[in-house]
Amino acid sequence: MENNNTFAEMYSEYLRDESRQTGMAESISFPKTEEEIISDLKKCVYKNMEITTQGARTGLAASAVPFGGHIINLSKMNKVTGARYEKESGRFFLKVQPGVLLTEVRKYLTNKSFVTLDWDEQSREALNYMEKNQWFYSTDPTEISASIGGMTACNASGAKSFRYGSTRDHVESLRVVLADGDILSLRRGQCMARDGHFELVTESGRTIKGELPKYKMPHVRKNTSGYYNKPHMDMIDLFIGADGTLGIISEIEIELSKKQAANWGVTVFMPDEDKALDLVRVARGEKVFEDMEALSLKPSAIEFFSHNALEMLKVQQKTNSAFASIQEIKDVYHTAVYIEIENDSDDEIWKGIDCLGTCIEKLGGDEDATWVANNPTSLEKLHSFRHACPECVNMQIDIAKKTDSRITKLGTDMSVPDDKLKEVMKMYNEDIKKNNLHAVIFGHVGNNHLHVNTIPRNMEEYKRGKELYLTWAEKIAAMGGAVSAEHGVGKLKVPFLQKMYSKEELDEMRSLKKLFDHTQLLNRGAVFPFEKGEDI
Amino acid sequence: MKIIVCIKQVPGTNEVKMDPTTNTIIRENVASIINPFDTYAIEEAVRIKERYGAEIYGLSMGIPAASEMLREAISLKIDKAMLLTDRKFAGADTLATSYALSRGVEKIGAYDLIICGKQATDGDTAQVGPSLAKTLGIAYATDISKIIELNYGFMRCMKITDDGYEEIEIKLPALITVVKEINMPRLPSIKSMRNAKSAEIEIVTSKDAAADENRTGLKGSPTQVRKTFVPVHDVNSIYISGSTEEQSKKLAEILLGKES
Repeated sequence: MENNNTFAEMYSEYLRDESRQTGMAESISFPKTEEEIISDLKKCVYKNMEITTQGARTGLAASAVPFGGHIINLSKMNKVTGARYEKESGRFFLKVQPGVLLTEVRKYLTNKSFVTLDWDEQSREALNYMEKNQWFYSTDPTEISASIGGMTACNASGAKSFRYGSTRDHVESLRVVLADGDILSLRRGQCMARDGHFELVTESGRTIKGELPKYKMPHVRKNTSGYYNKPHMDMIDLFIGADGTLGIISEIEIELSKKQAANWGVTVFMPDEDKALDLVRVARGEKVFEDMEALSLKPSAIEFFSHNALEMLKVQQKTNSAFASIQEIKDVYHTAVYIEIENDSDDEIWKGIDCLGTCIEKLGGDEDATWVANNPTSLEKLHSFRHACPECVNMQIDIAKKTDSRITKLGTDMSVPDDKLKEVMKMYNEDIKKNNLHAVIFGHVGNNHLHVNTIPRNMEEYKRGKELYLTWAEKIAAMGGAVSAEHGVGKLKVPFLQKMYSKEELDEMRSLKKLFDHTQLLNRGAVFPFEKGEDI
Repeated sequence: MKIIVCIKQVPGTNEVKMDPTTNTIIRENVASIINPFDTYAIEEAVRIKERYGAEIYGLSMGIPAASEMLREAISLKIDKAMLLTDRKFAGADTLATSYALSRGVEKIGAYDLIICGKQATDGDTAQVGPSLAKTLGIAYATDISKIIELNYGFMRCMKITDDGYEEIEIKLPALITVVKEINMPRLPSIKSMRNAKSAEIEIVTSKDAAADENRTGLKGSPTQVRKTFVPVHDVNSIYISGSTEEQSKKLAEILLGKES
């Protein structure tokens, strides 16, 4: 463990993450093995020090920002340690350490360039069944330098979650180091809860018996708001998306997906927002027209760009050479929807796109106001267009920061049930207008999950925006939505979760945490507020 | 106004395989794309059409499968496409290619402007554009980065040179080759792709084009490729260490040839 007077200076970068919050800590360690995690944990518990676990610090909810105590940074546990192939089912799995980055995993899979020196015979043999660039890990957050451990801790998802789901859907097994140094080894399907009760046996043979909370999770397509909870749940799911509050993940087995032969994208520009939202319904397979069957496009992603987002990109396109590669956004383009489709062949995809064109016209749009990408090079162009949105927002926040350094990014991450999509958009638009704020909306509209990014021009607007977000959390909870859909609650969105769950329900989460971490040292203050006097 | 855009099908990969006997590129069974430089030529023609009104012909010489590439060019909003395809065209060098293309141009008939990409990414010669203009006996300008003004009689444009830009005026009909700075090619739309699916590609044989067999294909190619090889990039780096003074002393010695 490193510990000295100039800690904050020497390790300043470890005191913050992508949420742009800065915290404080007394010491940091970089374990390389599970044994070292255990040893570090034991020392901290002995000294009653709080522990913050870090991956690549790309999270947006400040989960990895320490507020005192010790940091366990897992960036040196960055190896892929094995592979497994199930011949009968054709399923492929990789065993990874938590600090390995998504971008590394992608690179290994594209080139089949795993470092197999320490792999067992079975793992090496499994690789014989893998061809270059045929498998991928489907969770695709915008930030590809995220670590797999961090993604598991916050149950990250991304654009393609419309088809592939979130991290949870691709985690097959976990090893979790508990606060007392004991280990839980959890494999999907092997540790199920029954009627809200569960029993887990640690590696030392201790049985942890418990009762699951009574609260019900919202009926939304994406949710990372608080602990996963269902009466007959697989207990591995409790530890996914728990923001590092229940234990430290030391090993993850992830399931890979097989690449499909054809992958197309299409950006559709609609004449107004309402029509764009109807197109979203069409794209995800809802029956919108009386005289036409519902489409079965099976998209992997359905994304949204509000009118203001397009206007922002248009300005950047003209003034910033970094965005010059974006195709001209015409003045008649009002709101855009991006749809990505994967299938066995180009012909199959074209059939769907052809029908989509008919629907666009039926909705009053123009099928000529579309950008179709049917090869990797042009698909890359559409991805750049999508990624240009958050980049532009960050650039504008940096400008606003010059007027007041306390200004940070204000982005929402809330989702609602399918039938509330139009209602929530109306709420966002009206509230932004009423509060005289400037905001752009983009994101995963297929999952009714939009990122509203307020761009404050001064501190006063920043404060107003922050207050507004709390109001939205309350209204979205009332709609049956989730206050965090993919970033996790972390420390930043604790007040939001308090709008979604009652005091009693949060107490249930706290009781569950205490069952695994009775002194509440692990990532204290994340998910729900720490209550003093309980840590004895 | 009638514009002809010359379009070449090139391998979509940089792992090009050569035929060891003819020393020509093996194009069968290789995923192909529109030569990237030609996409700028297509886009510029479409922009002229949108601004001034024009009819755009895409013209290519290649294997029968190249008609699919021309269909893709139609999805990028050119109006019609012609493919010169015949065993007799096979194995052509730049001279024979420009001759064959000139026959295609003559078959299309009266035109105002021919636009080509600067060069193809497989051969990299940048010869076909100028050679085609010479064969047709029209004016040409290479490396055009901007069209400033276009009239029925003449065109003013910017040409990239080693030292900067030249503004030039050229009499029509003329041929220009364009560089990638000229525009940002658009992606097809659903509508334009649908149009392309049903479009007819005009297939033209050597006979249809009334081409002189002695001037096409291997027969009409004076270029004899004796050998092809992958260039060796032999770059040696020397790292200099020490204090600033020691480093500058060592560097001076190397530059003066006192140290190898």
